[in-house]
Amino acid sequence: MSFRRKLLLVFSLTVFVSVATVAWVVSVFTRRTFERASDERTATLVAQFHREFTRRGEDVVRRVEAIAASEPALRIALALNRGAPDYATFLSEAKALADAQQLDFLQLIDDQGTIISSAQSPARYGYKDTTVHLNRAENKPAFLKREDLGSGTVLGLFAVRSVNIADRPLFVVGGRRLDKGFAASLDLPAGMRAFLYQNLEPGFSPRLLIDPSGSLQQPERFASLIARVKQHGESRELISWSNDQADAESLDAFPLTGEDGQLLGVLLVGNSQRPYIELRARIRSAVLLIGGSGILMAVVLSTWIAARVTRPVEQLASAAQQVADGDWNTQVPVSSNDELGQLAESFNQMTRQMLQQREHLVQTERVAAWRELARRLAHELKNPLFPLQITVENLLRAREHSPEIFEEIFRESTSTLLAEIQNLKNIIARFSDFSRMPQPTFQPVSLNDVVHGVMRLFQAQLAAGNQLGITPQLELQPDLPQIAADPDLLHRALSNLVLNAMDAMPSGGVLSVRTLALDGRVQLEVSDTGSGLSAEECGRLFTPYYTSKTHGTGLGLAIVQSVVSDHNGRVSVNSSPGRGTTFRIELPVNSDKLARSEKRQESAQTGA
Amino acid sequence: MLNPNALDLTMNTAGYNSRVPRMTGLLARCLRLPCPLLLILSLVCFAADWSTPVHQLAQKIVADTGPGAVSLTFSNRSSLTRMDVDAVQAALITQLAAAGVRLVNPEQASVVVQISLSENLQKYVWVAQVQQGSDTKVEIVSVARLDTPAPIHEPVQLTIRKILAWSQDERILDVAVIDSSPPRVIVLDPNKVAIYALQQGQWQLQQSLPIHHSRPWPRDLRGRLMLRPDHLFDAYLPGMACTSTAAPISMACRDSDDPWPLATQPTAMNAFFSPSRNFFTGALSPGVAKDKTVVPFSSAAPIPREKYVLWLFAGTDGHLHEVDGMNNQMLARTNWGSDIAAIKTSCGSGWQILATSSGDGTAPDTIRAYEFPDRDPVAASLPTEMNGSVTSLWTESTGNGVMAVSQNQQTGKYEAYRLAIACGQ
Amino acid sequence: MRHIVWQLLVVSSLFLSGHAGAATRPQYGGTIHVMTRRAPASLDPLDPTQPDSIARRNLTNLLFDSLVLIDDFGRVKPALALSWEAEPGNQRWRFWLRSGVNFDDGTPLTPALVAASLRSANPSWNVSAVDNSVSVALPNSDPALPAKLALARNAIVKRTPANISGTGPFHISAWQPGKTLTVVANENYWAGRPFLDSVQIDFGNTYRDQSVALELNKADVVEIAPEQAKRPSMAGQHLVISEPFELMAILFRRDPQSPEDGKLRRALALSIDRTSIKNVLLQGTGEPSGAVLPNWMTGYAFMFPADGNIDKAREQRIEVAQAPVWTIGFDPGDSLGQLIAERVALNGRDAGIPIQTSSAGSADLSIVRVQPASFNPQTALSSVCGALALPAPDFSNESEAVLYQAENAILQTQRIIPLFHLPLNYGVSTKVKGFELRRDGSWQLSNTWVASEIQ
Repeated sequence: MSFRRKLLLVFSLTVFVSVATVAWVVSVFTRRTFERASDERTATLVAQFHREFTRRGEDVVRRVEAIAASEPALRIALALNRGAPDYATFLSEAKALADAQQLDFLQLIDDQGTIISSAQSPARYGYKDTTVHLNRAENKPAFLKREDLGSGTVLGLFAVRSVNIADRPLFVVGGRRLDKGFAASLDLPAGMRAFLYQNLEPGFSPRLLIDPSGSLQQPERFASLIARVKQHGESRELISWSNDQADAESLDAFPLTGEDGQLLGVLLVGNSQRPYIELRARIRSAVLLIGGSGILMAVVLSTWIAARVTRPVEQLASAAQQVADGDWNTQVPVSSNDELGQLAESFNQMTRQMLQQREHLVQTERVAAWRELARRLAHELKNPLFPLQITVENLLRAREHSPEIFEEIFRESTSTLLAEIQNLKNIIARFSDFSRMPQPTFQPVSLNDVVHGVMRLFQAQLAAGNQLGITPQLELQPDLPQIAADPDLLHRALSNLVLNAMDAMPSGGVLSVRTLALDGRVQLEVSDTGSGLSAEECGRLFTPYYTSKTHGTGLGLAIVQSVVSDHNGRVSVNSSPGRGTTFRIELPVNSDKLARSEKRQESAQTGA
Repeated sequence: MLNPNALDLTMNTAGYNSRVPRMTGLLARCLRLPCPLLLILSLVCFAADWSTPVHQLAQKIVADTGPGAVSLTFSNRSSLTRMDVDAVQAALITQLAAAGVRLVNPEQASVVVQISLSENLQKYVWVAQVQQGSDTKVEIVSVARLDTPAPIHEPVQLTIRKILAWSQDERILDVAVIDSSPPRVIVLDPNKVAIYALQQGQWQLQQSLPIHHSRPWPRDLRGRLMLRPDHLFDAYLPGMACTSTAAPISMACRDSDDPWPLATQPTAMNAFFSPSRNFFTGALSPGVAKDKTVVPFSSAAPIPREKYVLWLFAGTDGHLHEVDGMNNQMLARTNWGSDIAAIKTSCGSGWQILATSSGDGTAPDTIRAYEFPDRDPVAASLPTEMNGSVTSLWTESTGNGVMAVSQNQQTGKYEAYRLAIACGQ
Repeated sequence: MRHIVWQLLVVSSLFLSGHAGAATRPQYGGTIHVMTRRAPASLDPLDPTQPDSIARRNLTNLLFDSLVLIDDFGRVKPALALSWEAEPGNQRWRFWLRSGVNFDDGTPLTPALVAASLRSANPSWNVSAVDNSVSVALPNSDPALPAKLALARNAIVKRTPANISGTGPFHISAWQPGKTLTVVANENYWAGRPFLDSVQIDFGNTYRDQSVALELNKADVVEIAPEQAKRPSMAGQHLVISEPFELMAILFRRDPQSPEDGKLRRALALSIDRTSIKNVLLQGTGEPSGAVLPNWMTGYAFMFPADGNIDKAREQRIEVAQAPVWTIGFDPGDSLGQLIAERVALNGRDAGIPIQTSSAGSADLSIVRVQPASFNPQTALSSVCGALALPAPDFSNESEAVLYQAENAILQTQRIIPLFHLPLNYGVSTKVKGFELRRDGSWQLSNTWVASEIQ
């Protein structure tokens, strides 16, 4: 990925992450704030409910007390104490008293719990009311209670007072129905709803739900919440009324208990999630809009910035690549005075220096190479020249001093002179060959085949039980890709390495040759188990004419390096004294050259 | 038409059954006889014949039970008197015994028969519930209601004596009793004048003299019979007057607006009756002194004073008007009804006024005697209860009695009572 | 005409303290105001949209006459027909008409018009005018035809496209259907001009409104709910109470579906404490009854037990493994019916029968109130069965035994549990005199009169 793209990506990512982070933070903050506000509103509504509940209860108590203090109640109490009251006489009394006090329920009950007169169920005279503990509930605040009306059970707010004259008190049990009006009396903020559920049956029944607004649909959705309240008390549940998230509602359920602590009702407070959802949607929209715009702007800006920023860098990179490709005479334009301009200036200076240094180095190396060559040549030539000199001196001495053996010495000396002259010629030939190393001809080459070719060459020497005591070991990767290479040069290079390895194991050992496919490259390793090399030796190894052997020109590894270099490969050595040496050659696949080579072959084949 | 509001709601389990007049007096004495004699006396003292329905019931029972041991219980849910009930019971037992049914105690019987004597509007309904084990059969016999004799009451010393003179289903306008030999009763009703004579212990119709009228009678029809020495009687009806002949007895009626006689004693007074209404128009003949007209009234009665006659008029305005031709007076509060009649007695001032109490006819009437020491009435007797609403109250021709006609609330019959005053309590 | 035995009568002069006293002679004139609950839309006795009721009979009695009438002892009496006779077999009858009777439009009553009226009411009859009589040929023998002719639906009505006319004691003066009716006295009424000049009737008033109107002297005759008749608030009021005539019963919607269903119905019947209901809910009015017709009508109603027995009820209930929850319905406009339905539900629950009250129309059982069309027992039983959609009774004759069998058969269907026979109660202003009721609780305003001054 280019620097520009990276920069662009980084800029965009930065903007995106920033916006996203801000949006997330805002969203979380909003949600928490909303939840807090929702909780506060719920708490306020519940408090209002309890206040209203208490107020209504006090109102019921007042009315019941008024009835207890009324003349008709006194009259009934007197009749009660005079003996069994006449139910016929009092049949409608409770209804009249209840109507006067605007109560929905009123029962006049004797001390045995027997109903004397009932407003809500006039026909219940003579029956006992077992739903209220008269003595316990007397003079207490209002409480919730179930009331069986014959046509069904309802919930009401009741109070009990008594008319105490003589021995038998008359109990006045009055109440108001918990109905829509009660729930509707709550002052509900926008987005809030309140329901009352009358827990009058096991399980859940939608008809027991009091919905003052009449807006409730799907009442059965409350079933699980109600069940939870019944088991665990106060609960909360989020209910989605439709596929639209905005229709979700957070419902808080509060139990309402009766006199004995039994659950008689549930107050359900609903907080619509719509404001929150809409706000969140708006935030998201804003985020998306702003983020998108920002990202777009960032992309545009970063593209421009990147272009501005990366151009010099790209130029630098391109110049560096050129330098790496060998074109050291590369200069980049200096278009600014900032760090990039300084960098460009530095690069230019560097390349200039590199050029100078390379020239100097080349010069130096040339000189060094000439010196080395002169030294090596002097060394190589000195060897055969010394015997030449001796021989000629011998000849002179023999002619002078031993003419009788002069012929023999002449013949021996001429042989020696011819041999040494041949030796000189060989040396000169090797130097000539080295100087005339051909350029590689690239073609698809299987490195494994090259290995096999080389090993065949040394097969006789490496056969089992050979006198050298060297065991060949091949570890060739079977699916090694072909590379674009000159097979002959590779063969030569590999031969040199094998020779060196064999030479490094005069007492025998293991000669390992391994091939391995890497990413876009192939690797060839030649290892021996000889005495190894020191680090200094490793550093001078590829210097032409350097050799640690007693024989040889010292050009083998130089040839190897030259071949490898011509193939744009790399050669390295890994060795330590006593542990053998491994030469590693890495060669690129050179797919492009491979393709060109294949095309040439195809052209050649088709042309032929 | 019955006035149900007057029904005795404390009656026994017969509930709202109509009451049949009870039998007391002679029959009451029969009821006090020992039980074994009931069977005989039921046949002797009582004129009702239950044999046929008893026989029917017995047959039905025997058809269900067959001969054998039976437990029998009786209950009376009707207005039959105790004597009748006993008679029925005795007769039934006899019939069952004759059929081979043996009466035993409940614990010894395999069959239990519950006899209930009930009644409906028209008939007595006798029900036998025959229970054999878990099987129950019901047999019902209907018995037509019998004419029951007039009630006999134990003699108690009274001021007003009430004697039933006549009873019939049709409305009685007036009754005149002729104490002749044989005794005769003349009954005026809306359609005829009937003359009965007592022969061989039974009242026999001697003559029925129809009254033909072209116009409908007004409601609350009133009529008056006046016995005449020369031609038996005159009958007065709204817009009509009828005159009889003595022998042969016949009657001729004509449309007439002749005034009706209010009294013949101590002075004769007549008044004109509205031909289409139920009251006197107020026109008098000859009048009370200078007063030829008075307020419209329903009835009138004279109180002879020493030097004048004080006339009392029960006005249609509901007040009692006292007219003597000089100082006329109206009594606003008398609680009197519309019917007053004078009666000549040997008690007190010699003349008393019998008056009905005020009311609307929904409850039985009472009649009370009053004296007029001055201008205000003073009750001279206790109220006498009638069996129903009084529909007419006329002084008899002799002046010594008053004929009161009332409709029995229980039976619907019209009953004419001859009222007499007995001095002392 | 009856004969009496000449008896010497003396009467015990018992002082009856506080008794109402005797009669003041009726006075002609005046107008009374009557209020009713029902609001008839038509005065035609044959209007099929309005079921027969006391209210309709009240109006029919004002405006129309029948050929005969039933007196308070159930006896058929002449009205427009003076006499009648039946051919052997009771399938052909002949009724001789009273002469000199006119309709309120002045036209005379003729046999043809009588025949036309009877044909309208009874399409299956062959009715024809013969001289001064009407001949009726029935499809079947019917010895009770005269009693049926006394029914309101057989009132003689002259029908024209424009209106209807009658021969009754009153004529229509003003009529606002469903609201008010004003009638004036028929001066030439064949049974005598009524005492009243006119009667004004206001329809569609609640019991409460009627009571208030009576208290305020804005009404002279009002209806009193049975349960209000004996309340202290009515003390001092003039009450006219009829015979217990109206049947209040429990009617099951369907026949028993199984033997267990029958047992449950028996258990319910045994569980009902009628005495308590009468004493309290009915305030002492009404007669507990286990029969369809009251005892004063049949004489055998006591044979059908009306006493509750909760122990026996529970025994019956135990024999049924599972009792369904029944709903008991009532007329939403009948507060008394609702109370009694609630009490029946409570009694039923005491016996282990789950019952809930319901004002919806499709309850399993319901409290019904039926006013028989006549106090002729056969006609009454037929009309009750017809009104309640029960099987029509079969009478081979008019005997009480056959009537009992027919009524028993109806009760054996277990479709109906009679509860009470209720009287009709009227509050009457003190100035109104002579207000009388027939046995069936219908008015007889012909003999009613208004006192000119309260004494």
